[in-house]
Amino acid sequence: MATGDHKEGFWKRVLWAALPLLVWIVHFAFSYGLAAAQCSPVGMRPGGPDRLVLAGSTLGAFAICALLAWRARQVLSRQGSASGLADRVALLLAVLALIAIAWGGLPLLLVTGCA
Amino acid sequence: MTAPTLSKPAPNPAPRPDGELEKLEAVWRTQSGWRFFSSVNNTNIGLLYIATALLFFVLAGVLGLLIRLQLAVPDNHLLGVETYNQVFTMHGTVMMFLFAIPVVEAIGVYLLPNMLGARDLPFPRLSAYAYWAYAFGGLAFFCTLFVGLAPDGGWFMYPPLTGTRYSPGLNADFWLLGIGFIEISAIAGAIELIVGILFTRAPGMTLGRMPVYAWAMLVVGLMIVFAFPAVIAGTALLELERAFDWPFFIAERGGDPLLWQHLFWFFGHPEVYIIFLPAAGMVSTMIPTIAGTPLVGRRAIIAALLGVGVFSFGLWAHHMFTAGLGVLEMSFVSAASMAVAVPTAIQVFGWIATLWKGKLTWNAPTLFLLGFMFIFVLGGLTGVMVAVIPFDWQVHDTYFIVAHFHYVLIGGMVFPVFAAMYYWMPLVNGNRLSERLARWVFWLMFAGFNIAFFPMHLTGLLGMPRRVYTYAPEMGWDGLNLLSTVGAFMFALGVVLFAVDAFRALRRPERAVGNPWNAATLEWLPSEDYGNRSIVRVNSTNPLWDEPALTREVEEGRHYLPHTATGRRETIATSPVAAEPRYLLVLPGDSWLPLVGAFGTSAFFLLLTVKLYALAWISGAVAVGAVLAWMWESDRPPPEIEQVEAAVGEHLPVGALGRASHSWWATVIMLVVDASIFASFAFAYVHVSMRLMVCPPPGTELPPLSQALTSCGLLVLGSLLVWLAKRALDKKGNARRLPWLVLAALACALASFALDLQGWRAGLAPSESAWAAAIAALASYQGLHIVLLLVLAPYLALRAWRGLLDRRSRATLDNIALVWHYTTLQGIAAVAVVRLMPLLME
Repeated sequence: MATGDHKEGFWKRVLWAALPLLVWIVHFAFSYGLAAAQCSPVGMRPGGPDRLVLAGSTLGAFAICALLAWRARQVLSRQGSASGLADRVALLLAVLALIAIAWGGLPLLLVTGCA
Repeated sequence: MTAPTLSKPAPNPAPRPDGELEKLEAVWRTQSGWRFFSSVNNTNIGLLYIATALLFFVLAGVLGLLIRLQLAVPDNHLLGVETYNQVFTMHGTVMMFLFAIPVVEAIGVYLLPNMLGARDLPFPRLSAYAYWAYAFGGLAFFCTLFVGLAPDGGWFMYPPLTGTRYSPGLNADFWLLGIGFIEISAIAGAIELIVGILFTRAPGMTLGRMPVYAWAMLVVGLMIVFAFPAVIAGTALLELERAFDWPFFIAERGGDPLLWQHLFWFFGHPEVYIIFLPAAGMVSTMIPTIAGTPLVGRRAIIAALLGVGVFSFGLWAHHMFTAGLGVLEMSFVSAASMAVAVPTAIQVFGWIATLWKGKLTWNAPTLFLLGFMFIFVLGGLTGVMVAVIPFDWQVHDTYFIVAHFHYVLIGGMVFPVFAAMYYWMPLVNGNRLSERLARWVFWLMFAGFNIAFFPMHLTGLLGMPRRVYTYAPEMGWDGLNLLSTVGAFMFALGVVLFAVDAFRALRRPERAVGNPWNAATLEWLPSEDYGNRSIVRVNSTNPLWDEPALTREVEEGRHYLPHTATGRRETIATSPVAAEPRYLLVLPGDSWLPLVGAFGTSAFFLLLTVKLYALAWISGAVAVGAVLAWMWESDRPPPEIEQVEAAVGEHLPVGALGRASHSWWATVIMLVVDASIFASFAFAYVHVSMRLMVCPPPGTELPPLSQALTSCGLLVLGSLLVWLAKRALDKKGNARRLPWLVLAALACALASFALDLQGWRAGLAPSESAWAAAIAALASYQGLHIVLLLVLAPYLALRAWRGLLDRRSRATLDNIALVWHYTTLQGIAAVAVVRLMPLLME
């Protein structure tokens, strides 16, 4: 009977490659959730959702993804042709998440209030 | 095409002994006559699955033609108003739930094991159960149309229209119970595919070498796990409202119709990508073959698949831009809707670059793939248009939207599926479809599609609302509508010609399959009921291009496991990243039990809908009995065989324990689905709470905290006893004390639930307010798990008493323990969510 985990770092690789997408999920859920809560009957905030907090979270998420992209780039240039799928996917997903977070932050410059 | 590489020596270089192949054939042989339907092998189930999905495509297509006939001329009375409502609801529902999702899963069931080099999927009986449940449930659901009981509230079934006030008949119930149940079958299929892709790939097929189609199906499987629970929870809530007057969606009693829209579209938008990504995976497999060159940007395309899969969960509310959401929330969703265009475009550019780099072969798959790109890109562009909120406000619920989503769905899924049928049809019996007829089929479908649906952009912009029964001549929509009808019939003629050709090809005598397109992927290795003669060792991304001798070697049995090592059906389980052989996975054989279980399950739901309760419970008992009987036969590794030789010098253990076992992973994925359903109920509770000014609302009262904590304590005690039972087996290797520990744990779980029930009943009336109803829904879901433990605990005790639990046969215990601990965590989480919300709102 085979037992236990095979030591090939499955979860570590998955996390490394998918971390930028997780950052996007957290950022999106936080932004949408805060805006919804601060526009709900009980949590209604004068002037609409707190754009300072939202902008801060957007900049934070952007910075994390930029850091992840930079790290993935470093790993790729260090390993050259020996780099694996996870490293390349990590870089591409970091760039995709950067674009999505930047784009998702734009409404903060354009929209105020709840309605 | 890549240059052939030097082949490594085959893992089993010596000639194979006489009689070995005959034994392998005997173990895997498909039974003839009516016994064929007890088959569980992926090839047979896959073909049945595809055929049934195509039948629903034709049936829903006929309904589409009826819609077009009705709208061909103004003031038409071909169909009555009620019939028209049922027809358009069934057209959308059947196309989405009974054709689009099942056909992509069906093709996966048929293709993936061969493409991955496995003999079968890891849970063949689960595949068979999922298929039969879908077939029985789907056909019965379709038949409601013939007795005027088909749902009529549109394919997304918005309340309050579908609540009892405006839809008092059984029509909506058929949708809610029928579709909710069919979704469970889709989830079973997804679990099967995820575990199959991660753990049964051919040795050496690392994640980096895995075909892009398998990547697409892996992403889709994970999307199903997280998206479908939302609609299952939504349908459960709406059915509870209709059956017991729990007002989740009734505004006067604190409910919110938008709650349904959130739950439905949290499933409904990812679903579009659940349909599209498998098609994209097929396209990424076919294009390199027809261009004769490896896929350009392969890794970028894999990353794009992952990106699309995740971003698609942020788009649900773009179906709700006119529902009165906050402007900032809508803007976030609008931004995400545009962001998803980036990874989609990466795939499209990858395909164009591959075609550009290679030398295009003009054949039937090529035509359909080019048609797909043209139509899908147009649908994508109008998708970006409707992601712009002010534009969406103008065209929402008009025929512009009808045009948009048909361009996306038919372009993005139907055309690739037709390309796939032309491409992979030779796998069935070696015969290709007619190339000459294919040109007729393609041009009729391509021209017919554009003639039918392009004018709908214009009728939409002219203000024609979707689902309208008829229209007055002075609206000016008649010419365009007539054109759409002509186009729809041209499209249908193309489908009929295809069906005739397919029927002809399938009736021709069987011939050698070969590799007619000179493809690079493993499904083109010679294959029988047992899959490939030996399980191939993969050394590159494009094995059939890079190792010309591979086909001969595999056929001569020179790779892994060229025989049946235990006298049963088997495949090799490999590690998820590097695909190193880990153990011999013994597979179950053919059986009637999945079919009987599926029949009982379908009958239970349908009879419940028509309120034949006694018969429904009998059917439910048959279903549970069949599933338990099927489980009873499992988890019994062959005695006396601890390990086998899969290749020269490579010995593999038979079966696996704990986290090494494929069944452990399947249980974990099932529990993730379970947790997602629970999260949807918790979301419903948070959503209705946020509509309150005071929480808890006046007239409701939560039970004392001490009572809730005692209930949680009992759950923890139950889990502790189960842990002790596992430990006793681990340490002492015998299961003597195990039944008593498990039954004591069951007593704790029952006591916990009784305490909860007593507390909720004292202060909460679910029909009075949506808030109380949402808590009752959470409690009911926990109750469902307690009922499950009530079945599982005696079953486990019985296995222990019958001597079927020991150190080798313990997957049943490990998996039931997982379910048990999950139930404990869910009970604690329910208490935390319910108690936390009033504190947050203070």
